[in-house]
Amino acid sequence: MSEKTAIVSSLAPVSEYGDIVIIGNGIAGLTAAIEARRLAPATSIVIISEQCHPTIHTPALKQFALGRLAQEQLLAYPAGTERSQRIHVVNARVEGINAQGKYLYLQGGRCFGYGSLLIATGSRPNSFPADLPGRDFDGVLTLHNLHDYLDLRRRLPEVEEAVVIGGGAHAIETIMALRHHGIAVHWLIRGELFLSKMLDRTASEIVLAHVRHLGVKVYTRTEALGIVGRVGSAIGVVTNHQKMIPCQLVLACTGTSPVMTLAERCTIPITHRQGILVDEQFRTNVPDIYAAGDVAAYKDPQTGAYDTHAQWYAAVQQGRIAAAAITGHYDPDAHAVGVSWHATHLGEICLLTVGSPLLPIRGAAMLSDKSKRRYSRMAVAGDRLVGYLSLGQTQPDSLAIKRLIDEHISIRSIKGALLKGSFDARKYLSDYQSQTMQQLVTSGKLPAIAPPRRITPVPSLLRRVIPVVQHTTPHAARWQWQPSEKLPASIPAPADSDMDIQQNRQTEPLEEPSPFMLRVYEQQTIHGGDDVPQPEPVTGEVVVPAEKIVESILVPLPARSNSRGLWSYSRKLPAVQVTAASMDKTPQPQGAEEQTGGTTDKAPAVRVNFLL
Amino acid sequence: MLKATLLHKTGPQIVQEIHACIGCNECLLVCPALAEPLTIDILNRETVGGHISPAVARFARSCTQCGACVAPCPVGLHRDAMMMWLKLRLWRSAQEN
Repeated sequence: MSEKTAIVSSLAPVSEYGDIVIIGNGIAGLTAAIEARRLAPATSIVIISEQCHPTIHTPALKQFALGRLAQEQLLAYPAGTERSQRIHVVNARVEGINAQGKYLYLQGGRCFGYGSLLIATGSRPNSFPADLPGRDFDGVLTLHNLHDYLDLRRRLPEVEEAVVIGGGAHAIETIMALRHHGIAVHWLIRGELFLSKMLDRTASEIVLAHVRHLGVKVYTRTEALGIVGRVGSAIGVVTNHQKMIPCQLVLACTGTSPVMTLAERCTIPITHRQGILVDEQFRTNVPDIYAAGDVAAYKDPQTGAYDTHAQWYAAVQQGRIAAAAITGHYDPDAHAVGVSWHATHLGEICLLTVGSPLLPIRGAAMLSDKSKRRYSRMAVAGDRLVGYLSLGQTQPDSLAIKRLIDEHISIRSIKGALLKGSFDARKYLSDYQSQTMQQLVTSGKLPAIAPPRRITPVPSLLRRVIPVVQHTTPHAARWQWQPSEKLPASIPAPADSDMDIQQNRQTEPLEEPSPFMLRVYEQQTIHGGDDVPQPEPVTGEVVVPAEKIVESILVPLPARSNSRGLWSYSRKLPAVQVTAASMDKTPQPQGAEEQTGGTTDKAPAVRVNFLL
Repeated sequence: MLKATLLHKTGPQIVQEIHACIGCNECLLVCPALAEPLTIDILNRETVGGHISPAVARFARSCTQCGACVAPCPVGLHRDAMMMWLKLRLWRSAQEN
């Protein structure tokens, strides 16, 4: 490392250096640092952050505002973790990146060299428009970081009425926190529906009805035109319907945007749109620079669109994958973000969305079930789950459902249970594992084992191409994407060549092991691993679980002696027979529902003058 | 009639749940077995690895797997399975010593 330091020092006026430098101490940054320490014990790891407190559980800030958590309970890792993990924390602001010289400009003229750089700068809130009258009054808050919630917590005892602006999950969670304090809440939503990108119309209306039932006044198709104040403090909000809503507190929950300042201040431009574009290893287009967390836009495995995911679990996963890639331990089978996943409580309602339950995909059936206390919707392709949406009194095993989608596990026997919310994930996944093991024994065929993945450096010329190619796993196939006018323009349609690939793959027998098997049996076997065909890089198409249908057929197990052997005590489970089936043969969905995209109608904005 | 249910989850599933925990503390707030102050960050870290502190060990021993912690979790995690895993770690460490 000292030789490397000397090289960098000769190129730039660098006084400090870290093998792995991470900008930002959010959960993605700290997770990456801890994972990198685990994978590479001898490297020097540095976190540079301008934040004045350790990494905290940001989703728990609402509980903190409610007084259900003390400040010390917000810590994401025990106090002193950075020191015990030998992670050097530098409290400074990074002004720019010199990618050729591999060093950072810090505030105050310092330079900091790096071997690998991870940008985990997170996101910033979309506050009120700069020209909104009254946005600087006392009592107008944007809730995002610890300081915002400390401010809110101090103010709550004096607040009787509050206006919450925004139509996302952040807004409704804030509303629930305010109602818990007994504060009268007015909720302003620009559109007609709540969370129109995640929920269909039915689900959105259920949530809105529940919120109204809790005493919240909901104003749809309503925008704030200005904030009225008295002697410097907010006393009300004027809407586009020429109505003033009195309040002492105005909260902006209008979403977040990734902080991409450093992407713009790099000597080699870092490609970014709605986030820094990264590949499956969270590498940017610039060599040795990675991005993770809210700032990283990666390819959705289902839609193929690049997008950011400002969620806690996604940030943790991204930090771990980036650390594995930086330290040369990246394994595409073990390190995959998977489909999107969002679970939360909305008062007494539990909301869960996994995958893409709303996207219209050809060949996918939309199943829904609505009862008095529960609503669920599933997108199913063959016997594979594509998307899941649930609203109910209890939260299903959300991560197990994510696993069903990520690992392409058949749901043929549990469709009804999934719809009804009575899915016993532990039993099913345990049985699935047992069946897979028994299939292994009864069929006499061991799965082909993937060869050990060697991390080879990618030539810088290739790495500067964005979007970066996605290497699909051999067992996965591609699905024809049905373009829709309602879809955002960022979701690409597959090229014709991709369709050809799909047609060819539909006739292939199911020879490759499931991803589960790849992970369980990582040891080398007699089958070796050199014959496993390498996946071909493709871009821009929708990857679907598989084009084969596994049909369960009862067959007798091999004859065994009367001795009490391994299988003597186990019940006879059905072996499986694999047949190839074309996706075209998939029955058309019964009662497929149309996507109920949320309307984004904007009421005419009229600026008015206020005598403030 | 009582229905038999699996109480445990596998190690990778436990690690996944720990990673997904948002630290809202709701599970500990409703726990009838928690008799002393305990923060969720320490409980999470000691569930998946490292030294088990005496406070966490006492909490693990007093957990009766009643399942009261599952319903309040906003993200649908299973603290009871995590506690079962912690009990297992505790038992293993006792066997080693």
